[in-house]
Amino acid sequence: MSSRWLETRRDISEALNRLPAALFLSWSDTRARYKRSMLGPFWLTLGTAIGVGGLGFVWSTLFKMDKATFIPLLSVGLILWGFIAGIVTESSQLFVQNAQIIRNLRIPLFFYPIKLVLRHLINLAHNAVVIVIVFLIYPPHWHPGILLAIPGFLLVVLNLIWMSLFIGMFAARYRDTETAITNFMPLLFFMSPVLFKAEQLGIGAWVVWLNPFSYFISVVRDPLLNFPTPSFVWPVAIGMAILGWAITLWMFNSRRTRIPYWI
Amino acid sequence: MARLVFENVSVRYPIYNARAQSLRHQFMRIATGGRIAAEAGHTVSVTALDEVSFELNSGDSIGLIGHNGAGKSTLLRTMAGIYTQDSGRIIREGRIATVLEIGSGMDPELSGYENILRMGMLMGMSLKEARSKIPEIEEFTELGDFLNLPVRTYSSGMTMRLMFAVGTSFQPEILLVDEMFGTGDAGFQEKAKARMHDLIANAEIFVFASHDHVMLGNLCSSVYELKHGKMTHLPDFHTKILEQSEQ
Repeated sequence: MSSRWLETRRDISEALNRLPAALFLSWSDTRARYKRSMLGPFWLTLGTAIGVGGLGFVWSTLFKMDKATFIPLLSVGLILWGFIAGIVTESSQLFVQNAQIIRNLRIPLFFYPIKLVLRHLINLAHNAVVIVIVFLIYPPHWHPGILLAIPGFLLVVLNLIWMSLFIGMFAARYRDTETAITNFMPLLFFMSPVLFKAEQLGIGAWVVWLNPFSYFISVVRDPLLNFPTPSFVWPVAIGMAILGWAITLWMFNSRRTRIPYWI
Repeated sequence: MARLVFENVSVRYPIYNARAQSLRHQFMRIATGGRIAAEAGHTVSVTALDEVSFELNSGDSIGLIGHNGAGKSTLLRTMAGIYTQDSGRIIREGRIATVLEIGSGMDPELSGYENILRMGMLMGMSLKEARSKIPEIEEFTELGDFLNLPVRTYSSGMTMRLMFAVGTSFQPEILLVDEMFGTGDAGFQEKAKARMHDLIANAEIFVFASHDHVMLGNLCSSVYELKHGKMTHLPDFHTKILEQSEQ
């Protein structure tokens, strides 16, 4: 085994050892952001609640949809989208934003994607309050399959970690990646089944499945709301995780030591 | 026992211009076979360290001098393991602390206390360990109630005090300090000096880059000059300082 690979493995294991620190720092980042506000991080919850409430009411009326189906669909979809898009967009700043720390303290580089994902998990936990409220108003159909949402969610997180590291490295080297991502995200939003179910598009549904994020929403939301999941969704999501991790680890291994010079 | 050994270490530094950092230009270069965006591929490479060799053992305190851009910061970062060498071998034994750039790792919105915990945890302490350092840091920095205020309200000297106190609080075995340390007032410089003497007395390694020859003379037992990525020992540095101060 080459010494380079040993170093890479050490970087990753040291980063995982610092999980408590990552959690503490992401929590302190979240608090710092809402430092001088009364509600603190619950502004996130309130903002999401307003969004879901407003959009849910307007669109269900506009599209003449049943509120009991549409509002849970929209709230879970929007919150998941916020989680995914937040990580993907901010990953383009992953190393660039932490340049000062990277150039001055010796911290494993794998620490940064972990910290970013943790911070968004904290945000998601705040937003999940909205889902709970929605479920209290429109109770879901309880069935054993609902538990599939948990492995589904873990699979999404696993995918998002490699994406974050991949985008972070790429964006550190090529600075216009950030602009490219911010420009593409709205397009991907409309190509993802946040506001509708993929099958509602009928024959055009394939457009949705071109978007990798559609799979992420599907593996979590479908079991949660008792929708049927198309048979190819799970294999594709698992395949993405395997292939993505393989490519990202290869890239991280060969280019890791260059990152401090790029930023 | 702390040890830091460099054997023929070279560090080459790619410098990317705006074009090389542009994805669009890279695409253009590939698509046009390099005819249109010919410049895009050019990244200048600077040799910051050229076959540097030395051996530092417990109790060594060395100073680094050299012009701006001579490679002092690069050398400190390579010692710390932030930059990886292109060739050569480095042996590092001992816990390393760095005080390189002012305010790095601090969140200006958070209070001094919160930043102590943040920095401590970034440096690999547990929350409990970091908490236990607070009284000592309070005492050393003499910042008093300012520690309850956000760090953005601090002057650069105050930020420096806090950084230095946190950086040295977990008894590093190898301490690497860059320039900017001059921002503190006289009282702080005395305290910092005392702490560094303690560290050196505890048989640790201390490397200090500075333009302040008097301070280098006071703190370091030997001084090296960096020039074009080469390191040379200045055996008569201390006698020269003496002569200058007598004049």
